[in-house]
Amino acid sequence: MARKIIFCFVFFYLLVLIQTSFLVYFRVWGMVPDLVLIAVVLISLFSSNQLWGVSSALIGGFYLDVFSSSVIGFFGFYTLILLLFSIITRIILQKYVRIPFFKRI
Amino acid sequence: MRMFRNLKIIVFLVLLIGVFVALNFTGFAKNIKNFFYSFSAPVQKTFWQVGKNTSDFLGGILEINTIKKELDFLRAENQELLSEIVVLKELKKENETLREGLNMELQKDFKLEIVQVIGKDISQDSLLIDKGQKEGIVKGMPVITSQKVLLGRIGEVYDDFSEVILISNKQSSFDAKISDKEVFGVVRGKGNQELYLDLIPKEKEIAKGDLVITTALGGIFPQALLVGEVKDVKKTDIEPFQTAEIEPQFDLKNLDYLFIITDF
Repeated sequence: MARKIIFCFVFFYLLVLIQTSFLVYFRVWGMVPDLVLIAVVLISLFSSNQLWGVSSALIGGFYLDVFSSSVIGFFGFYTLILLLFSIITRIILQKYVRIPFFKRI
Repeated sequence: MRMFRNLKIIVFLVLLIGVFVALNFTGFAKNIKNFFYSFSAPVQKTFWQVGKNTSDFLGGILEINTIKKELDFLRAENQELLSEIVVLKELKKENETLREGLNMELQKDFKLEIVQVIGKDISQDSLLIDKGQKEGIVKGMPVITSQKVLLGRIGEVYDDFSEVILISNKQSSFDAKISDKEVFGVVRGKGNQELYLDLIPKEKEIAKGDLVITTALGGIFPQALLVGEVKDVKKTDIEPFQTAEIEPQFDLKNLDYLFIITDF
């Protein structure tokens, strides 16, 4: 698990840097794709371990808080949003959805 | 068990919110951001540069058609502007000539028509001008420069163009006199922009530098138009008359706009 979390730190760090510097030049309809959000969504959807999803949301959200200006000017906004999203997704998936074609990591 | 788990999540969330609130209110969030920025700046700069270069490259490829169209448009516009400049330059020249003519008060003495030279046949001592029968040009009308220098007379007249026979043309001959002296003679063209004053009585004194002007005799040209300057005087005992070579006062190379005297 520790290795996964270290990987998460490095992975999301790179993603957020790419998102806030490289991708700024490749806007689609004036918007930069939110790689961190996409990664957190994918991990939350397809990971078998809930801790894996929660930690990715925490780390990704934290990096977003650091590197992008928050909508309401509150540091921690993205962390809380992503965390809530991850938890709610997990609850919905566990209770109501089955994804038979994907093997959870 | 489930309740305990849910409680754990709620406590964790509350704690997390508390931490973030504390970070925001103490201003420590700024320190965290500063810490991350300080070591991420070089990496971000590299990403910026790479992103910019890639975007420029891809943008160039994607916009090649737009650039090509713009280039074509600019080229066409450039051509249009160049031709406009040419027209304006021509108008400027015409304006200058007219001003010069006004300064010489030509319009007081004669009824004039300004024309532009469109062709020069130097070997035949003739010019082609841009006005003809439609503008009321008639064969035989005198042609002068804005400095009141006699250039020639109208030869052939076409609908929109006319030919000017220079006074240096071999066919040309007219009465003239030496300015300020009662010395009369006939100016004849020799070709190649050369002319001479013929039939000057032998006893009359003429000198190099004397100015030759037209007279009203013969009615070909109005009087007192400058013809040229005496360059050389030839006098022999055998000949009953003396002759003088005349240097014409017009410069064919710089002739652009001329005046036709339509009435005098």
